[in-house]
Amino acid sequence: MKVLKRKSELCIACHACESACSNTWFKEDNAEKSCIKIKEGEKENVIISCTQCGECIDVCPVEAITRDKNGIVRINKSNCVGCFICVGFCPVLAMFMNDEYIEPFKCVACGQCAKQCPTNAIFIEQE
Amino acid sequence: MIKLNNRDYEWEVGLTVQRLLDKKSFTYPKLIIKINNVLVPSEEYASTIIKDGDDVKVIHLLAGG
Amino acid sequence: MSIEKLKSAHKLLAEYKYELGKIEKGYTNRTLYINVGDNVIKEKPVTQLMKDKFIGGKGFGMYYLWHAVTPETKWNDPENEIVIASGPVGGITQYPGAGKSLVCSLSPLTGMPMDSNVGGYFGPLLKFSGFDALELQGKADKDIIIFIDGNKGTISIEEAPEEAIDSHILGEQLTEMYAENEEDKRNISVVSAGSAANHAYIGLLNFTFYDVRRKQIRLKQAGRGGIGTVFRNKNIKAVVVRFAGVKGNLNNAADQGKINKTGIKLHKEIHDFDAQQCRMRQVGTANIIEVMDQYDLLPTHNYKFGAHPDTYKISSKVFTGMITQNTPDGCWYGCSLSCAKAVDHFELKTGPYKGQKVIVDGPEYENAAGLGSNCGIFDPHAVLELNFYCDTYAVDTISYGTMTAFVMECYENGIINKEITGGLKLNFGNAEASLEMLHQMARGEGFGKLAGLGVRNLKKLFIEQYGADPVFLNDIGMEQKGLEFSEYMPKESLAQQGGYGLTNKGPQHDEAWLIFMDMVNNQLPTFEDKAEALHYFPMFRTWFGLNGLCKLPWNDIVPEGNKHSDEPAKIPEHVQNYVDIFNGVTGKNIDKAQLIVQSERVYNFQRIFNIRMGYGKRIHDAIPYRAMGPVTVEEYLSRAERYDGQLKELVGFNPEGKSTEEKMAALRAYREDQYQKLTDAVYKRRGWTMDGVPTVEHLQSIGMDLPEVIEVVKKHL
Repeated sequence: MKVLKRKSELCIACHACESACSNTWFKEDNAEKSCIKIKEGEKENVIISCTQCGECIDVCPVEAITRDKNGIVRINKSNCVGCFICVGFCPVLAMFMNDEYIEPFKCVACGQCAKQCPTNAIFIEQE
Repeated sequence: MIKLNNRDYEWEVGLTVQRLLDKKSFTYPKLIIKINNVLVPSEEYASTIIKDGDDVKVIHLLAGG
Repeated sequence: MSIEKLKSAHKLLAEYKYELGKIEKGYTNRTLYINVGDNVIKEKPVTQLMKDKFIGGKGFGMYYLWHAVTPETKWNDPENEIVIASGPVGGITQYPGAGKSLVCSLSPLTGMPMDSNVGGYFGPLLKFSGFDALELQGKADKDIIIFIDGNKGTISIEEAPEEAIDSHILGEQLTEMYAENEEDKRNISVVSAGSAANHAYIGLLNFTFYDVRRKQIRLKQAGRGGIGTVFRNKNIKAVVVRFAGVKGNLNNAADQGKINKTGIKLHKEIHDFDAQQCRMRQVGTANIIEVMDQYDLLPTHNYKFGAHPDTYKISSKVFTGMITQNTPDGCWYGCSLSCAKAVDHFELKTGPYKGQKVIVDGPEYENAAGLGSNCGIFDPHAVLELNFYCDTYAVDTISYGTMTAFVMECYENGIINKEITGGLKLNFGNAEASLEMLHQMARGEGFGKLAGLGVRNLKKLFIEQYGADPVFLNDIGMEQKGLEFSEYMPKESLAQQGGYGLTNKGPQHDEAWLIFMDMVNNQLPTFEDKAEALHYFPMFRTWFGLNGLCKLPWNDIVPEGNKHSDEPAKIPEHVQNYVDIFNGVTGKNIDKAQLIVQSERVYNFQRIFNIRMGYGKRIHDAIPYRAMGPVTVEEYLSRAERYDGQLKELVGFNPEGKSTEEKMAALRAYREDQYQKLTDAVYKRRGWTMDGVPTVEHLQSIGMDLPEVIEVVKKHL
C-alpha cells in the first residue's frame, strides 16, 4: 500500500505541498483546498495528512468511503450525503472540507506534493 | 460536618472526593464537582481531601430519554 | 408470497401528479393533504403565519389538527387527522439528530391532541419529495397503501389486501416492492403499524430506515399515545415515500457553512467524549439502567420501588454483550451520537414467529425499565422478546410496560384473578404471562384485548365490573390524562412530579427530566426555582419538535467547557449551536430568548387545544399518589428511615410512637400539598390562571393571540 509519510522535523513550512495538492485536485492555489496541511509551530511544524488508517470507512453512514485495491481510502462523492462525521472522527484530523463543496476530501497518496517538497519531509512509501 | 449540595453531611478524617462519591453511590458519569466553588478535575477525585466545613457540590448533569 | 403477487393484488384508487419543488431555507412551502375516505389528494401552501407562529414539525401538526377537528371530534371519527412533519432544520445531515418526524393526532387514550416524535428517514424524505407536512384524514373502506414518489412527482392510493400487517415483515415487503433495485432501498421509508393496533388503544407507528450494512430495514417508533391505533382505524396499512438523491445541502440553507462548522464541532465532541460520558455509540439509551437503579429511580413492581437486587441481570453490560453491531447506527444521516441499537439473529421463543431469527431494534432504556424491572422481569431475553413483539405488533412499550405493571399489582392484590385473566398468572416477574397477554392483544382476544385499552380504561372496568376499590386503583394506576407514565420514579423529586403532571400530552419525560437537578443536586430548593425549571426546560425541549430535531445530542453529550458555564444543566454551548443551525438554515436571526418564545407559542396553543377538547385544566394536571409517595405500608417500610426523617425535618411531625398508617397519612397530606403549591408556582410562571388557563395578556405578549385561540380561552377565564 502506498502511503504519504511525514518527517515533521524536516518541514520548513514553505507550504509548497499545499499549493501542489490544491492545484492538482482543485485547479487553484489555495491551502484551504489542500489534502495536506502544514501547521506552523514554535518548536516544530506539524504535517497533517491521511495515514490511510480507515477509521472513516466505519463511521460513514452510507458506505461512501471504501478502501481500494491498492489500500487507498477513497470517497465516492456521488454516494456521500455530506454529513462530515468522517471529518469530526478522523483521529489525525486529516479529513478536510471546504464550504464550497458538500463532500469532504482527503489525501489519496498521489505524491504530487512530495515532488515539490524541498527537504523530503514528505515522501511516498510502500507499506 | 460538611455541606453537600447545600445539605448537611457527616464529615470524617481523610474524606476524599472519591470516598464521598462511593459513600453516596454517586456513580453517574457526568459530574461536576466543586469544593468551596473551586472545580475539582476528575483525575484528582482520589487525591483531593475534603476538609471539615467545606462546601461541596456534586452536580449531576441532567439527562433522560 | 412473492412481491410481484402482492403488488398484482393492488388496485389503484387514486393517482396524483405534482411539480417537484425546491426547498428554500428549510421550507418547501407546501404540504400534502390526503383524504383516504374519498381519495382526495391535494397540495396546500404553507402560509407566512404558519412559519412565523408555528415554525414547523409539531407546530404544523397542531395547527392542521386544530382546524381539522371540532370540540366534539373523537379519535375514531373520520375527520381526525394524523399529521406527519419534519421541520425547517429537519433533513440537514451535518448536525446530529436532524431526522425526526413529528406525528400529531387526537389520541384514543386521552381524547386530546397527542404528539410523538420518531426517527427513521420518512420526515426528511417527505420534505425532499416536496412537502413540509403530510395530513391524513378520512377513513378508507379497505386496507390501503399510500405511495409518494419524490423523484417522479407522483402520489398514489392503492388498495393493498395481501401484505402483512406486522411491521417487521410489511416494512421489508414494501421496501422491496417500491425500491427500483438494491441500491435504491436506502431511498425508501415506510410508515406502518401492526396487528395489535387493530385492537389496542396503545398502538404505535413504525418508521423505517434501510440499514445499508445489514441490508435490512430497521424500525423506529412514534410510540406514545395510540397514533398507530388511529392509523389502523383509518384502514391505512402503510405510507411509503421514495426519494433518491439525498445530499447535504438539499435544504438550500441560508448559510451552509455555519451548519457545517457547528456540525463538525459536535461530531468531534462526540468522538472525543462519548466513550467516557454516556456511551450512546456503544449501548445507546440503555446506558442508564443500572445508574437509575443506584439512585433509586428505576421503577420496579409498578413504581412501588426505585431499585431491585436483580437489576444487574438486565444492566447495560448485559445488553452490551447482546447488541451485535457492525458499526454505531444513526437513524438519520449524520447522527454521530448513533444511539440506534440492534440485536441480530435473535431467536424468538413464543408467538407467531416462534423459532425465527429476527432483528430486535433496541433495547432502549424505556424498554428495559418498562417491560423489565417495572413488571419485576429481570430476564434480558424476555425483555428483548417483548421489545420485538411490541414493535412489530405496533404496541407502545412504555404504555405496555406501565399497564402490565398495574395489572400485575392488581393480580397480586386479588383485584383480578385467573378467571378474569383467562388463566394468565400475572404475578410480578412472570414473563411468560406478559408475552401471552401481548400475543392476545395482537390477536384481539381475551384479557390481552382488554389490557390494550390502557390503564385508565382498565381502572374503570375493574371498579365497575369487579368491585375494585376506586381509591386504591386511582392511587396505583400510573396514568394521567389517560396516558401511561414513562419509566422514571418521581416520588422523591417534586419537580419531576411536575415534569410529569404539568404537561400537555400526559406524563412523558420529553418535556422535563429534573430529577438530578432537584433531588440529588438540590439546585431547585424553592417552588419558584422549580417553576422556573418547569418553564424553561419544557419550552426548550418543545423546540426540538418544531424543527425536526432529536433531544439527545443536546445533553447526552457534554462539551469540555460546560463545567465552567453559569448554568451547566442547560448546556449553554449546545443551546447556542441550535440557535446557529436554525439561523443557518432559515436565514433568520433569532437568539436564545427568541428560541424559547417560538416554543411558548406552540406550547400554549397546545394547552388551549386541550382546553378546547374539554380538558387542559388544573383538575387534569393531578397525578396519582403512587407518583408522589408511598401508597402501601410495604412501600413505606422499605424506605422507612427516609420517610421518618422527612416527617421530622420537613413536615414537623414526630414519627416516634406513631403507627405506619398515621405516618403515611401525614406524609401524604404534606406531599399532596407540595404538589398543589408547585402547581400554583408553575402556572404563575407560565402566565396561566390558577385553573391552568393561559391569560389573554400572556398570549398577546408571546404573540399567540390568534382569534380562534382567544375565543377558546375567553370562555374559561
